[in-house]
Amino acid sequence: MTLGAMAGEIGLIFVSDWQIWGIPGMILAMIISIPISVALGVLCGKILNQAKGREMVTSYIMSYFINGIYQLVVLYLMGSVIPIIHSSIKLPRGYGIRNTVSLLQMRQKLDELLAVNVKGVRIPVATLIVIALMCLLIVWFRRTKLGQDMRAVGQDMQVAEDAGINVERTRIISIVISTVLAGFGMIIYLQNMGNLSTYSSHSQIGMFCIAALLVGGASVDHASIGNVFLGVILFHTMFIVAPKAGAVITGDSMIGEYFRVFVSYAVITIALVMYETKKRKKKSQAAEQLQADQQAAGADGKGA
Amino acid sequence: MKNSRRLLFRILTVLVLLVIAAAMYVIGRGHTLYFDNTSMDYNGQTVEAPYRIDVYVDGERVAKLKEDERGTCTNIGQKFSMDLEITKEKDDEPVTEHISLKLPFNVDNIVVNLPALLQGLDEDAYYSVFVPLVQEPADEEPQVDEFGIEINADENTAG
Repeated sequence: MTLGAMAGEIGLIFVSDWQIWGIPGMILAMIISIPISVALGVLCGKILNQAKGREMVTSYIMSYFINGIYQLVVLYLMGSVIPIIHSSIKLPRGYGIRNTVSLLQMRQKLDELLAVNVKGVRIPVATLIVIALMCLLIVWFRRTKLGQDMRAVGQDMQVAEDAGINVERTRIISIVISTVLAGFGMIIYLQNMGNLSTYSSHSQIGMFCIAALLVGGASVDHASIGNVFLGVILFHTMFIVAPKAGAVITGDSMIGEYFRVFVSYAVITIALVMYETKKRKKKSQAAEQLQADQQAAGADGKGA
Repeated sequence: MKNSRRLLFRILTVLVLLVIAAAMYVIGRGHTLYFDNTSMDYNGQTVEAPYRIDVYVDGERVAKLKEDERGTCTNIGQKFSMDLEITKEKDDEPVTEHISLKLPFNVDNIVVNLPALLQGLDEDAYYSVFVPLVQEPADEEPQVDEFGIEINADENTAG
C-alpha cells in the first residue's frame, strides 16, 4: 500500500511540474506510477517470498526502507539529477521537493466530473462509477484462474504448491497488482484533497486504509468489499463525530481528535492480537488433536 | 507460440499506455492567462484601452477589467476561446466579440493585451510571456499536518 502510494505521489509530482492539469493530469500520473509500482511490487514480492511466515514485520520494515529511498529521490535527486522546472514545487535551495505540492488545478476534478446536485448535496458520480468498476473488477478477477490461485495460496501455501500452483509467482503478481491499484487509489485520494504532503502522505494513507478495513470487520487474513464500505463509512464518521464529541464533552475538539487516533491504532492492535491468538489457538488445537490421535493409535497397538 | 503471443500482448499494452500518456500530456497542458486592458504603442500606432472589458470563458465571467487593470484565468489545452464584452466609453452599450486563441505548448503564463488583440495587431503586439519579478526569499518550509494545512497557522496570524 505504502509503496504504491509513493509511486502515485511521484507521478503527481512530475505531472505538477509539467503543468498537466485536470483529469488528463490524473491519468498521466497513474500511467507514470505504473512502472514504479510494478518495480516496487516485484522487489517487495521477492523479499516477502524469502520471508514466508514473517510477512507482517518484513513488509513493515520494507516500507521504512523504501521510504528512505523515496526521500533520497524526492529530497536530493529531484531538481539536481531529475529535472524539475517549476520553483513552486522545488525547495528554495534549488533541489528537492517542497513539503506540500499544490494540486489545485486537479482538485476534485474527478469528483466534479458528471457530478449531480441533490438537494444541495453534490454526488460525485464519476468517482462512484470508478469505485463500482473497481469492485466489479475484483469480483470478476476472483473468478479467473489467477484469482482462484491467489485464494488457494492465501488459504494454504503448502496445499497450493502441491496442487501445482507456482506459489512464489502468484504472490509476486498479487503484490504487484495491489501496489499498482494502491498508486491509483492514492492519486484519486490526493485529487480530492487538492494538495500533496510530499514526505508524509504515503505513510498516513497506509494507516488510514488498514484502520478503516479493520474497523469495517476485516481480519488480518480475510477482507471483503463489504468490509471496505462499512469501514470507510465508520472511519469517516469518526473523523466527523470525534472532534465534535470532544468539543461537547470536554470543551476541546482536540481531545476528540486524540480519541480518534487512539481508536484507530487500538483497532489495529486488537486485530493483530486477535489474529495471533486465533493462530496460536488453532496450532495448539492441532497439537492436541495429534497427541490424541497418537495416544489412540498407541492404545490400539497395545490392545492388538 | 504462447510465449510470443504473451510478449506481443505486453508490448502492445506498453505502447497503448505510452500513446495515452502522450495524448494526456498534450491535452492536459495547463496555461495561466493574464488579460491586460492597457493602452499601448506598437510600431508608432497607439491603441487605446476601452472603458471596460468583461471576459467570459465557458459562459462564466472570469475578469472584469477597467482601464489599466489585469485579470487572470486558467486553461487546459492549447485551444482557448473567450467572449469579450467591450464597453468603449462609460455609458456606451457593450459589444460582444468571440475570440479564439492558439496557446503555445511550452509557455505556462501568457499575458494577452486585449486592446491590441481586438485591434487585430500582430501576435507580438498582444502576446507576451509573464515573468514574475519578485524572487522568493529562501526561508524555512512551513510545518504542515496530514492534510497539508499549516500547523499553528492560526497562532501565526493571530500573533
